[in-house]
Amino acid sequence: MIEPAQGDLQQLLGRELFELVPFNIAVIDRSFRVVAANRNFEEYFGDWRGRQCYQTYKNSSERCEHCQAAATFEDGRVRVSDETGVDRHGRTCHYVVHMAPLLDEQGDVQYVIEMTSDLTETKRWRREYDLFFERVPCYVLVIDQEFRIVRANEKFVQSFGEIDGRHCYEVCKRRTSPCRNCPAAQTFWDGAEHVSNQVGVHQDGSPAHYIVTSSPLGRRGSGVAHVIEMATDITEVHRLQDELRKAEDLYESIVRNSVDGIVVVDKGGRVRIMNRVAHTLLNWQAKQPPSAPRLREMLPPEFFADEAADYCLDLPDARLKAIGGEEIPARFSAFDLKSRGRSLGRAALMRDLRKLKKLELEKLEAERLAAVGQTVAGLAHSIKNLLMGLEGGMYIVDGGLRRGDAGRVAEGWQILQRNFEKTTSMVKDFLTFAKGRLPDLRPTDPNAIARAIQELYRDAAARQGVELLLETGAGLREAPLDPDGIETCLTNLVSNGIDAAVLREEPGGQVVIRTRGEADDLVFEVADNGTGMDEEIKAKIFTTFFTTKGGKGTGLGLLTTRKIVQEHGGRMEMESSVDTGSVFRIRLPRNRLDALAAAAQARNTREEK
Amino acid sequence: MTEGQPKYVLVVDDEPDVRAYLRSALEDAGFLVGTACDGQEALELIRREPPDLISLDLVMPRHSGVKLHRELQKDKQLSKIPVLIVTGHARDELGRTDFDEMTMSGPGIYLEKPVRPGSYVSAVSKLLGMDKPNAAAPEGEDDLRQSLDRALSGANRDALQRALDALRKK
Repeated sequence: MIEPAQGDLQQLLGRELFELVPFNIAVIDRSFRVVAANRNFEEYFGDWRGRQCYQTYKNSSERCEHCQAAATFEDGRVRVSDETGVDRHGRTCHYVVHMAPLLDEQGDVQYVIEMTSDLTETKRWRREYDLFFERVPCYVLVIDQEFRIVRANEKFVQSFGEIDGRHCYEVCKRRTSPCRNCPAAQTFWDGAEHVSNQVGVHQDGSPAHYIVTSSPLGRRGSGVAHVIEMATDITEVHRLQDELRKAEDLYESIVRNSVDGIVVVDKGGRVRIMNRVAHTLLNWQAKQPPSAPRLREMLPPEFFADEAADYCLDLPDARLKAIGGEEIPARFSAFDLKSRGRSLGRAALMRDLRKLKKLELEKLEAERLAAVGQTVAGLAHSIKNLLMGLEGGMYIVDGGLRRGDAGRVAEGWQILQRNFEKTTSMVKDFLTFAKGRLPDLRPTDPNAIARAIQELYRDAAARQGVELLLETGAGLREAPLDPDGIETCLTNLVSNGIDAAVLREEPGGQVVIRTRGEADDLVFEVADNGTGMDEEIKAKIFTTFFTTKGGKGTGLGLLTTRKIVQEHGGRMEMESSVDTGSVFRIRLPRNRLDALAAAAQARNTREEK
Repeated sequence: MTEGQPKYVLVVDDEPDVRAYLRSALEDAGFLVGTACDGQEALELIRREPPDLISLDLVMPRHSGVKLHRELQKDKQLSKIPVLIVTGHARDELGRTDFDEMTMSGPGIYLEKPVRPGSYVSAVSKLLGMDKPNAAAPEGEDDLRQSLDRALSGANRDALQRALDALRKK
């Protein structure tokens, strides 16, 4: 209201206010025709003169269905309405319109004044804000001072369930009272932003890990009216971390409890892992793992070979050098560690073979003694046969003498002579056999021995109509052998073979000496195409003194051969069938030869000391 | 022989010396003796003229004693011929199973090598149901020989192994 004294102000306002207010103002009459409008209106909606309101506002040819102005004409009340229309450029616009009746002196509503303000921008902002609020990939909620959730976004509701005006602690954590370290409470208190790590409960009961930021939203009096909380769910990160930890624990306990020593080096050669077994095995007592050069002194050089696409090492008979100088026999394997094709380093597994080696030597020794034992038992039998022959010879001589029968004396005497010779040769054989010495192992070319034997017996065999052949394996490595012992073996087998070949009914007797490598075994073989042996003889041939050569043999040849073979850690094999011939095979595992050679060397070193 | 035909004994052994020895001992005692060097030859001889007794070695090349024995068991007539086993293998790995088979499956006794002429001839006579042989074989009673005999028959591998171990330690 204006004081009466200010008459000119009244006039001024009447004239200017219409144009000055920051609204679009139009006046319509009862026939909805725009009868007056200010400049703002004209700039917003365009030319209005002579047009209906619905034409002007909405570019429509008909009145609006729910016309608010009509209602005001009817009841004279003020109305506010949200409308969508068309601006003077033909673009859709949003505006709020405030309608008030203009009454005549009789109190009838003659005109309605419509004050419009533009909402287009505001509406857009709001849409954008809503979109952001709902769609932002984190939880957003607004809470009031009582910790009631005023609003929450879709994602939050999806994860935590309906809010229904409940408290945030009820919904997020299924608590009945506020949390102790509540960031929102702090924000309410100091008006500042707070960040904290929280664990809640998802709608499905699973734990929810999230990082929450609480910010003040609007102030009331001196305090904060609302707090907006934005939370990022890190449950998945937590789960992955947990899995990673589990995987780490798993591999750590495997490494820790492995019976094999494990050493892992990174790409730079630095030792990253060295388990307890490896510490003990290498006698590395410091807590810190050894440096790269120290490690190089301890492990086989092959471990330090350059990276190769398919690097994979397996040394069944490696030697590790422990601190203090002890050489540890070990099975050593190594491989490159890779992650998605990228090299991470190299791992070594080492198994202590000391006990195994010791057992192996003991086993070899036991086999050797068993061979001796068998022989000794067989000796008794041999002596029985000799005694039988001597007994017979004496009996016949006695009888001849008593009767003055010179022919009988001569017959008995021959028997005595033969048995005496047999005794001599048996004692000789036996002494060879019972030498009880360990094989004198030295690096030997297996083919050279075979060749020497062939040369030695070729002519003798030929004289008996038997061809002695040699087939040597190509590229056969040297091996620690007792050359004299192996020569004795081959001599025995070759002479047996020739005897068998002589007995065959047709001519064309052959004996073949063969050498070859088979896996890790060194093999000597003597094959004949002689009479062969039936099952019975095969079963007995290695059991004890046994001869099929009547008075000619002592039954010691194969036994001696087997003994020498056993002393080399090897074994004998035999295949034979009647009329096709026999094959005698000496099989010497190279790892056992090496073990025996190493043991012999250790023994020699000890003796020298 | 007290009456009728002298008995015919077939000696089967692969050792010619043993054959000569046993033949002499039996002939001296008045037996008729044939010899064979293995089971194969023996079987031929037996089929041609069945002996009154077979003196059989167990372990022989080609056709062993036990094989021959099996062949004989198949024949009703031949299986009745008494067999005297003369072996050095009665107790060792080489002969034990054969020996067990034969002593379990037929009549007969065995002698372990070396055999004395006297005990051999009396074993043969006993199997043939004769009280005593025609002429007594000389029995040189020799203590040393007997004790060696006993020692050898009693030898077993464990004892020998122990002896060997003891020797090695010295």
